[in-house]
Amino acid sequence: MTRQPLWLRILAHAGAGLVLAFLVLPIAAVLPASVNKASFIILPPTAYSMRWYGEFFLDGEWRSALLTSLQVAVVATIVAVVLGTISAIGLSRVRGRWHGVLTGLFLAPMIVPVIVTAVAIYRSALDVGLAGTVLGLGLSHAILALPFVVINVGIALRAVDPNWLRAAAGLGAGPWTIFRTVTLLNITPGLVGGAVFSFITSFDEVVIAVFMAGYAGKTLPVKIWEAIRIEYTPVVAVAATLMILLAMLLFAGAQGLSRGQTMLKKTEKPQT
Amino acid sequence: MSRHRLETVCLLAPALAFLLLLFVVPLARLFSLAFTDEGGAFATFAILAESEVYRRVMVNTLIVAVAVTLITVVLAWPVAYALSRLKGFWFALALYGVLFPFWISVLVRTFSWMILLERNGPINRLLQGIGVTDQPLALLFNDTGVMIGMVHVLLPYAIMPLYAAMVRIDRRLLLASDGLGAGLFDTFRRVYFPLALPGLLGGATFVFLLSLGFFITPALLGGANAITLSMLIASFVTDRLAWSLAAAGSLVLLVVVLVLLGLAARLLPLDKGMLAR
Repeated sequence: MTRQPLWLRILAHAGAGLVLAFLVLPIAAVLPASVNKASFIILPPTAYSMRWYGEFFLDGEWRSALLTSLQVAVVATIVAVVLGTISAIGLSRVRGRWHGVLTGLFLAPMIVPVIVTAVAIYRSALDVGLAGTVLGLGLSHAILALPFVVINVGIALRAVDPNWLRAAAGLGAGPWTIFRTVTLLNITPGLVGGAVFSFITSFDEVVIAVFMAGYAGKTLPVKIWEAIRIEYTPVVAVAATLMILLAMLLFAGAQGLSRGQTMLKKTEKPQT
Repeated sequence: MSRHRLETVCLLAPALAFLLLLFVVPLARLFSLAFTDEGGAFATFAILAESEVYRRVMVNTLIVAVAVTLITVVLAWPVAYALSRLKGFWFALALYGVLFPFWISVLVRTFSWMILLERNGPINRLLQGIGVTDQPLALLFNDTGVMIGMVHVLLPYAIMPLYAAMVRIDRRLLLASDGLGAGLFDTFRRVYFPLALPGLLGGATFVFLLSLGFFITPALLGGANAITLSMLIASFVTDRLAWSLAAAGSLVLLVVVLVLLGLAARLLPLDKGMLAR
């Protein structure tokens, strides 16, 4: 709109700025709350101290929750990445009606409300004795993470030219060598992206974990969930701050990676 | 079966077996509980439908979902528009602003809102300080708190599809409309808005479907005063061990979501890429 008046443009951008502030700023509230000296949560703090960080790391329950979360996330990531990658490769070879059906099935865990998935998995896990174990939680989280890997690797696979595979086969490479040197090498960025998504999906997951955790396998989000409802001390803000820091670290890593990927694409272009 | 097909089946089999055993079978087993109650095959659904309390929960879930969807769409509009117009540094900054919250746990974001919306929290003190209100407002443990938290979590889901639609709009159409003598409002109403509408409806569908199943945010910000269907399902399992009712409630929720999704897929040109976060 060439004749769009200045006041309208200012209004639109000011509105956008306000909404973006609403999106980003509230997340930061936990940081000042975590360096509060008082024994209750107050914002802004009246006196500052790192005492609640000490409480967090000295408390065996919080430490073990953090450790459990990391273990669960590693199990979930490995399972989701391995299964998701081979099924994305399989899916890229399917054409026609089946492609849609299979894609729908692989994305189904994203569509079914998490509370429904959680109650269903909890019920079956109780019956087979997987409730309250790291393995049980890791496998459940892998279900939620699987679609991210299938999507990410699927997108990366589209960039693999089938002619490269034929060329490799023509040069005498076996299927495993072709996979390792051509396919895997080219989908690595999508694979790492899927792995990062999987890890953060599992690390942040609460709903399934709240049901499954029981007394033994409490993850960090479950411990936070309980602490919010029971203690509500600044140590919760410490745990929340640590979760934000980890997410930011992974976010920055993934951003750096995708930048590397676009640079790779740019250098590749003249050759094709 | 050809060698190629056999290989494809072998590639797909492990993940399909995994999904079948750990996802499809548990769901089917849960839903079967809804029909095997001692009161009869459909007794659980009758209880859900006839109880005044449960009916109120379902109505409340719908009201919250509709309100959250409307607020989200209105707030998404200026951000999506700005994203479609900005370039370079400012575009990157705005895009990070939209994508960054995606990476932060919903639990952590909800906890932030608990701190902010408290009776003596910073928002209430600000409102009192500038004279909007004399008494602290009840912003927590009711529908107001739930809606604020849910809008915050769901906004990016509305912004991204809307931005995708807006950025594809050919600016020359607006020039043409302008050149043919249409005013600003007419160009918006008859050219820009219809072209952005698929993105708007796609985002609204996502937000509405996700709101229906929301659990963490309403459980923490709403509490006992603003119970939603997902909270009811959870309390059936943890507080009352009423598995058949939990199963019936889950089935109702899933069927509603699937029917709405089916309708949306038929009526809207949904972009599959929008599902990726």
